[in-house]
Amino acid sequence: MATALDHVAWEPCPFEPQRDRALETYARRKQRMPNPTLAYFAPVPWFARALVDLHPEYGLLLRLDYEVMDLVQLVVSQENSCRFCYAAVRAMLWAQGMSRARIERIEQDLARADLPPRTLAAIAFGRSQSRTGPAGAAAAREALARAGVGAEEMREIAFAVALTDFSNRAHSIAAIPSRPMERMPEQLHVRLMRPLMNFMLRRSRFHGQRTPEGTASVPPHSRLVRAYEGSPIAAALGRTLEALWASPVLTRRCKLLIFAVVSRGLSCQTCPHEIVSALRREGISDATVAQVLTHLDAPELDPVERLLVPFARETIWYEPATIQRRVRALREQLATPQLLEAIGVASLANGLCRLGAMVVDAP
Amino acid sequence: MIRAALVGAALIVLAALAGALYQQWRRAAGLRLQLDAATLELQQLQVACSRLAPAGVVQRLVADGTTPSAEATAERKVATALFADLVGYTAMSERLEPAVLARVLNGYFQRMSDAIHQHRGHVSTFLGDGILAYFGAIQPNPWQSDDAVRAALAMRAALEAYNVELTAEGLPALALGVGIHRGPGLAGLIGARERMEYGFVGSTVNLAARVQGLTRVHQVDILVTEALRAELGPHFVLTPMPPETVKGIAEPVVTYAVKG
Repeated sequence: MATALDHVAWEPCPFEPQRDRALETYARRKQRMPNPTLAYFAPVPWFARALVDLHPEYGLLLRLDYEVMDLVQLVVSQENSCRFCYAAVRAMLWAQGMSRARIERIEQDLARADLPPRTLAAIAFGRSQSRTGPAGAAAAREALARAGVGAEEMREIAFAVALTDFSNRAHSIAAIPSRPMERMPEQLHVRLMRPLMNFMLRRSRFHGQRTPEGTASVPPHSRLVRAYEGSPIAAALGRTLEALWASPVLTRRCKLLIFAVVSRGLSCQTCPHEIVSALRREGISDATVAQVLTHLDAPELDPVERLLVPFARETIWYEPATIQRRVRALREQLATPQLLEAIGVASLANGLCRLGAMVVDAP
Repeated sequence: MIRAALVGAALIVLAALAGALYQQWRRAAGLRLQLDAATLELQQLQVACSRLAPAGVVQRLVADGTTPSAEATAERKVATALFADLVGYTAMSERLEPAVLARVLNGYFQRMSDAIHQHRGHVSTFLGDGILAYFGAIQPNPWQSDDAVRAALAMRAALEAYNVELTAEGLPALALGVGIHRGPGLAGLIGARERMEYGFVGSTVNLAARVQGLTRVHQVDILVTEALRAELGPHFVLTPMPPETVKGIAEPVVTYAVKG
């Protein structure tokens, strides 16, 4: 069955999957089904866990309907040309009983699909945020409000979009093989197991409960985490960021530089303040930061930063095959965990910048 | 006997009906397939369009279902214009057979477009043997000046490699002149109702074209303006050129040759 992303070129994955029993158990316990693709991210534990922990369907949402979330994820993955995530969401919609014809109708003509206006507004929001980024945040907020979407639900939609942006980049940039996922609904044994899959999916998805306010979070994304106070998203986001900063693979300075470059490339008004302050605490002068952000290079950068600063910029707007070839070239110069962590940080930065523009007011 | 005839007739009618229904079903399935193919093609076209105009403009085009007015898409932007031209094209075009000339030109345009695209530029149009490209006009690009000069250096390297191929075939080597300038302009859908394209217009583009003309005067291949030099990283090697007067601009224009 032809899909809208069949024409998107996809390079072979440059990483070998690495078995990690603890990670497998963790994912199975949380998602209630195995997730074999996590093995590709296993060398960087926080990254692999973030792909599980930040997935909105496992108790992170309080209000947003899962069907709306699935549809938002479908169009965002389509916009980002992520063959893997697109096929995964399609397979999930199909396993949950949606006919192929209906999925195709939704993909082909969303504006006129037989969906409620609020769902259409959420889908349009996902599409516009992936295309325009923070620059279109104000207009996107207004459009959702006009459709009657409340503030809390809006924050959850923004989170679903941002996390799909993160997941799309993680899978596209690392070139995770998409064929097995694309072929899934065509295989006889999978079709026979469809009711069982539907049962397992429904069992694994659940809405979360309101959490006590006052989530402790440290800069540089404390304002973003605080914007979700009272929601399980705050704790999940806080834990992921803590694990990211604690990871010893790349230096804190290098990770901050990746965040800074992505934020500059997206013309984000929200993130730079905290990130530049954090870089200053790392001992980098404002002049060096300015030079890095203006020219993607500075004499003070170490060899790894010299490679990853321009790479971070390439993760903002890209064609999958082009960035996948770039990763293959970097594979010769960096260790696997270094490259994977850089992909993880850049992917998360892309998601969080878009999220910050929606839920945090600029200083 | 009569009953048997009636049953037979009913069966024939039923069979005819079933046949007609089957024909209709097959026709509907065929139409559905055609519709799916057409929709897929449209989706791919929309993705392709996203690379030719800013996402917001494409969204408006799709949402409106018609061509929006130029006013609806026009916005002021700071972008970088790169203007490239072949040196000695007229003389070469008189010497070569049309088919050979077309092949040489196509090879040149392909290599130059690839170099521009690799550095996040967008080829707006081919003007005879010239190329007009923009950086930062479609997607916001804070690194547009560095990108444009890197693209020009990649064009120089690509042309050198192409010239090796051409001279091996006994064909004349090509030479290039590139002018780059950064400044404000009007970006939007420009053209007549029958044919519109996303363009960037204003004095920035005109000056890039004039600076390209100065490459012949200064006998260099890549020239940038003072405004562009001010935005460039320290790693580029530039040589100042004497100020020159150009058509349409009162003050002499200060330019820099890009060595590497």
